[in-house]
Amino acid sequence: MYGPNDLRFDPHPVQLPPEPEPNKVRIRMRTVGICGSDVHFWKHGRIGKFVVKDNMVLGHESAGDVVAVGSNVTSLGVGDRVALEPGVPCFANMLPRQGRYNLCPDMQFFATPPIHGSLTTFVDHPSDFCFKLPDNVTYEGGAMAEPLSNGINACQRGQVAPGKKVAILGAGPVGLITAVAAKGFGASRIAITDVREDNLPLAKQLGVDHALLTDRSMSAMDIALMLQKALPPNGPEVVIDCAGFDSTLQTAVEAVATGGKVVLVGMGQDKCTLNTGTTLVKELDLHGCFRYTNTYPLCLDWLERQQVDIEPFITHRFGFDEKSILEGFDCAANPDRTKCIKAMFHLPGQ
Amino acid sequence: MAGAPAPHGFSNAAAVLHGIDDLRFEDFPMPLKPGEGMVRIQMKAVGICASDVHYVRKGRIADFIVDGPMVVGHESAGTVIEVGPGVKRLKVGDRVAIEPGVPCWSNKASREGRYNLCPDIEFFATPPHHGSLREYIDHPADFCYVLPPNVSFEQGAMVEPLSVGVHACRRGEVKPGKNVAILGAGPIGLFTLMAAKAFGADSVAITDLKNDNLALAEQMGADICLNPKASATPAEVGEWLKASLPPYGPDVVIDCAGFESTLQTGIRACVAGGKVVMVGLGSEEARFPLSIAACKELDILGSFRYCNTYPLCLKLMESAKVDVNPMVTHRFGFTAKEVDAAFDTAARAPITGAIKVMFNLEGPDDDDDEAA
Repeated sequence: MYGPNDLRFDPHPVQLPPEPEPNKVRIRMRTVGICGSDVHFWKHGRIGKFVVKDNMVLGHESAGDVVAVGSNVTSLGVGDRVALEPGVPCFANMLPRQGRYNLCPDMQFFATPPIHGSLTTFVDHPSDFCFKLPDNVTYEGGAMAEPLSNGINACQRGQVAPGKKVAILGAGPVGLITAVAAKGFGASRIAITDVREDNLPLAKQLGVDHALLTDRSMSAMDIALMLQKALPPNGPEVVIDCAGFDSTLQTAVEAVATGGKVVLVGMGQDKCTLNTGTTLVKELDLHGCFRYTNTYPLCLDWLERQQVDIEPFITHRFGFDEKSILEGFDCAANPDRTKCIKAMFHLPGQ
Repeated sequence: MAGAPAPHGFSNAAAVLHGIDDLRFEDFPMPLKPGEGMVRIQMKAVGICASDVHYVRKGRIADFIVDGPMVVGHESAGTVIEVGPGVKRLKVGDRVAIEPGVPCWSNKASREGRYNLCPDIEFFATPPHHGSLREYIDHPADFCYVLPPNVSFEQGAMVEPLSVGVHACRRGEVKPGKNVAILGAGPIGLFTLMAAKAFGADSVAITDLKNDNLALAEQMGADICLNPKASATPAEVGEWLKASLPPYGPDVVIDCAGFESTLQTGIRACVAGGKVVMVGLGSEEARFPLSIAACKELDILGSFRYCNTYPLCLKLMESAKVDVNPMVTHRFGFTAKEVDAAFDTAARAPITGAIKVMFNLEGPDDDDDEAA
């Protein structure tokens, strides 16, 4: 992108050195998915304090072929098919050393300015952050590891486990992938809510126990009671808010069982009204949730063993040329019209 | 006034709330004998908490409404004068601190070790349960804890508010290596400060809009005392707190004030990946910086009362790792006039300078030994 609403197909946006650096590999990109954040940067030129100042390649959900390896790399070879974990931290910082590298203050993350993204032909990336795809996992599966990782982190923050009932607010791509992760983590029961009906059948297909259509006329309390009724006896122990609005935050703290956890994934609003009295008296834990750490091996393991099904997520596929780029982004930006959940770009091989 | 306990019709003076601003000094009848598992305690020291004052002034806190006469008070210690059937742990003469909240064990929260969240908990002076500002009380022996010899009845009574601070520190996982910021240096902030130091926090910063409160905080071991101007924004106060606790700012922020401004300050000040503990309940609702909390992956943790804190608090007092004595600013005996004076002193704390107002109850065999 070159500015808000200015998306161009640029054949050579980034100059790569003749060879990858010693600890990096060069990847020919094969499949790249689009996320809401890519769309948001395209439309608005910023998310929060991240402002696109120069042109920036978009995309961060990606998989491709290793075409060259740096001199120190032994874990990967030319021809290996890999999924790329988009965020590279710096291990001189305190938080990465404690394992929370997602919070590294010097994080370099694909398509978060000023770092170029991966919707391009070639990318150089540290080999430590490239994960070999099992033979039976497609490039699409590899690309889906990124959104799936977000769902996994949400479940880890909420300590989803057998015996826990989970409610997910919002059945958009994030809510749906979180439901998939929750199933993987052994949740006893899963309920999901949305004001739109479109994705609820898929939610049921993915194994959600209760796919609940809510009405804009329903109050947050109404929805909370609906969830408590659907998940007796005390309601959900974990509520994952994938929307992030006043109403969903209120629903979350009212629906969750006493002593339970609310995971804050969605950021629909910058600031929300929080019922602090309820939070205190029910002794709730509200867990902010930001990206993920150490999730790629788990994602690829699940995909290899077919424990998760990401196929139904990919609703639209596009090639990689000027027309396709614009069509693909338009498709992803207008899900109400297009019913898009995940749009993927396929780039040609050798 | 108080008579020796006898099988029939002895008097049991109590401070009973009948309605808003209608606190009466009257007899509160007791059963003949303490029941199964219960002990009868002659009260020696009872502290007043802001919640007691609130019930007297407003007749309610949130959904807890005073609906019928209720004895006030819940911070108490006394002497066991009789033991009921089945009591093995305690004997007559034992000096005990009294844990005011008695849960039941048939629910999930209690069985998971969080009995403070028992939906059927019976808590002193939370309607409809009677409190402990009275001469005698029967209480389950399991919720009475023997005072070490060097711990006074007043200290025993203060185990209750100290427990709130201890529980907050546990929720926030305060320990060596952690910098802590406490917002609000009222009584709860000060007890939390003591607990944070006892829990081994590296540096503790505390904020308050009153210099007097901060002076006491400094005396009690606060490393940094900060008086943000009332006009300062949460972002500004957040930056001050970060700068005052190098290298990264507070790992744990404990909000003992509980207002929108303090919640926002806490979220802004806290290091990424850190914890903000909500103890104070100043307002029911607050504008919450969701995107900051999410992007910093904070844990925002409600903290409600406490559980499993009494033994630890008594150990901390016994070994002098905490010194709660400076918290008592005003003392009263237990008469009708003094009850009124005490509550008035507590209610007008900004003017009277009251932090902990304590009742000392005289019994017929009162030979109370104060702590060293």
